[in-house]
Amino acid sequence: MKLNLLIFIYIFIFFSKFTFAAENTVDPNQIHKNLRCLVCQGQSISDSNSDFAQTIKLVVKDLIDEGKTEEEIYSFMSDKYGDWIVFKPQFNIQNSLLWILPYIVLIFGGFFIFSFLKKRQ
Amino acid sequence: MLSNLGNILLFLNVILSLGIIYAANKNLKISGGVDKNIFQLSLIQSTSIIICFLVLIAAFIISDFSLITVYQNSHSLKPLFYKIAGTWGNHEGSLLLWSIILSIFSFLFLVYNKNHPKKFRLLTLIIQNILILGFLFFILFNSNPFSKISPIPSEGLGLNPILQDPALAIHPPLLYVGFVGASIYFSAAIASLITNYSEKSFSLSIKNWVLISWCFQTLGILVGSIWAYYELGWGGFWFWDPVENASLLPWFAMTALFHSLIVFEKRNLFYFWVIILCLITFTLSVTGTFLVRSGILNSVHTFASDPSRGVYILIFLSLMIFGSIFLLFQKYKKENYDLNRNSKETFVLVNNWFMMFYLITVLLGTIYPIFTDALTDNKISVGPPFYNAIIFPVVVVFLLFMALGPKAKWIKNKFENIRIYFFILTGAIGLNLAIIFFFKSYSLLSNFIIISALFLIISSLMDVAKALKKNKLDFARIISHMSFGFLVLFIGLNDIFSLEKDYNIKLGETKKFENYSIQLQNLDLKNYKNYQAVIGKLEIRNINSNQTNILNPEIRIYNKPKTLTYEAAIKTSLIKDYYLTMSNIDRSDYYNIKFQKKPLMAWIWISVIMIVVGGFIRLFSNAKNN
Repeated sequence: MKLNLLIFIYIFIFFSKFTFAAENTVDPNQIHKNLRCLVCQGQSISDSNSDFAQTIKLVVKDLIDEGKTEEEIYSFMSDKYGDWIVFKPQFNIQNSLLWILPYIVLIFGGFFIFSFLKKRQ
Repeated sequence: MLSNLGNILLFLNVILSLGIIYAANKNLKISGGVDKNIFQLSLIQSTSIIICFLVLIAAFIISDFSLITVYQNSHSLKPLFYKIAGTWGNHEGSLLLWSIILSIFSFLFLVYNKNHPKKFRLLTLIIQNILILGFLFFILFNSNPFSKISPIPSEGLGLNPILQDPALAIHPPLLYVGFVGASIYFSAAIASLITNYSEKSFSLSIKNWVLISWCFQTLGILVGSIWAYYELGWGGFWFWDPVENASLLPWFAMTALFHSLIVFEKRNLFYFWVIILCLITFTLSVTGTFLVRSGILNSVHTFASDPSRGVYILIFLSLMIFGSIFLLFQKYKKENYDLNRNSKETFVLVNNWFMMFYLITVLLGTIYPIFTDALTDNKISVGPPFYNAIIFPVVVVFLLFMALGPKAKWIKNKFENIRIYFFILTGAIGLNLAIIFFFKSYSLLSNFIIISALFLIISSLMDVAKALKKNKLDFARIISHMSFGFLVLFIGLNDIFSLEKDYNIKLGETKKFENYSIQLQNLDLKNYKNYQAVIGKLEIRNINSNQTNILNPEIRIYNKPKTLTYEAAIKTSLIKDYYLTMSNIDRSDYYNIKFQKKPLMAWIWISVIMIVVGGFIRLFSNAKNN
């Protein structure tokens, strides 16, 4: 009983701590990391020293100042420069397989192992 | 002169391969052991391909620019070490290295498997030599390192400066032993299918080769990551870049394979699954090569791409895949399994299940952009946020299985003391809370990852204690699993506690943030043998402890080829790294500096090394037992 109580307390503190921590600030560095530098070879805006990267950094700063959220900034960027610029592909019909297939594999695999073993009990 | 010698040796190798195939084929039809001549031919083959490679190294050392490869990738002013390393730092030379590994593994496999059926050994040799021929033809007709250029240029173009790095000199050979080492169990799997050699002793013929390739693959990935961290100047070590993924894909398959092999060896189960994994591993190695060398993908690591190479590798790859699938369908027999839901066998299946999930996720993310580009003309990027979002939640569960699985018994398991796992979990949650309490809080997912990593570490530690009492210690497994737990833990903490600041700064200026101040004290211009450098002197002061560190990032201007690179200044300690890069801003006297504090970096590397140490321990204990 003592053990269960202990676990309960832990979990309680853990979640309360988490909810206190959840602040909603937009971190420009994080956004720079998730945008591709279009004139470089496979680098993000954050890693690049190119003029293009400098410009995008300024645009991101402006958008944050306007009060845009992270997601809004990404969709602004992909509207303007194409989907190539965002490292996180949007969830839409074209990309649905990309996002869903891994989990189908995961679920199907688990189901396969489970049913496979059940038959042979 | 060297060019002719190299070409002669290449032709000699083609003839030797054909000779081995012919002799092995003849030997198949007669009774008795494997013909002595075949051993000799195989030994000569390995020797001559090594000599061929030495000839190329010689050409690089003496800067023989009559060879296109040397002309394109070397320069007479380059330090000797990088002249030599340049031999395999390019497409043509690296293919020669591939052939060496193919040949040596082929010879050693023949020598070390004397207890296995003759037919199986000879067929493995034949298949392996078909692969060798495939690569030799590729070298001769498409990527010949001994091709001549005329008129002979007086000077070479030089090696890309960011490839002139000690880590990158040893990275390709390590990775190729892993990648190409996988060829031998590909050949063995095909031979096993053809000769119906499906007894569990088959596992003994390949398991050490799987382990060797796995160990080297892991080391290769590690060295590549370290190089990326030091050289590419963004302070990260893994970007889920296509080229990085290409090295990870066979790794997942190998990891799944040597876990399945344990079951196959012990219980004679999963034969076809083991075969499929053998085939997949090398197929993925070649796929990776195709993606990297064909230039079909945009990558930060693309240094040698050319579409014509792509076509050849693609044909080779298709033949391999269709051949394997055809053979597999012909030979597939329904296997009889007798598995208990709670048994070691099941847990190994669970490992394979997760490995396949990782594999498919990474493969999908890597090739999906090719398809959207071809089908809809819409180019998309699949980068770190995708992989992090899909993979990390699953890793949490995976780590728990990794802790529990090895404790399970064969055939029928019963977890005796469930309470102990509650204690471990409580301990893990407690430690996680302590981190939050003393330092800072982090996202829910990070919480789960830290807790499950700690769970794996603590339970592995308890295994050590228990095993020491019984005096029966499976060090290999415990070290590798525990180190994997540490790896995830350190990566998690590193991510959570990293600090990054970006400033434009003038000479003499000081910037303050949190409890640090940073000052650009001096700029120095220096001339080196093959480049010029602007060296910054920046002082990082920790305001609380009043400790100072001087860091010297560089902007280098290489003369051959003319390129600008940014050298990061890194101050490594056991607790944290300071990472600083500096770049010039055009038309201004400001410099852009990026400062990062990366905690526990050294421990990430150490964890991976320990994972490999586990692999080598298993390898040596296998060798001792045989």
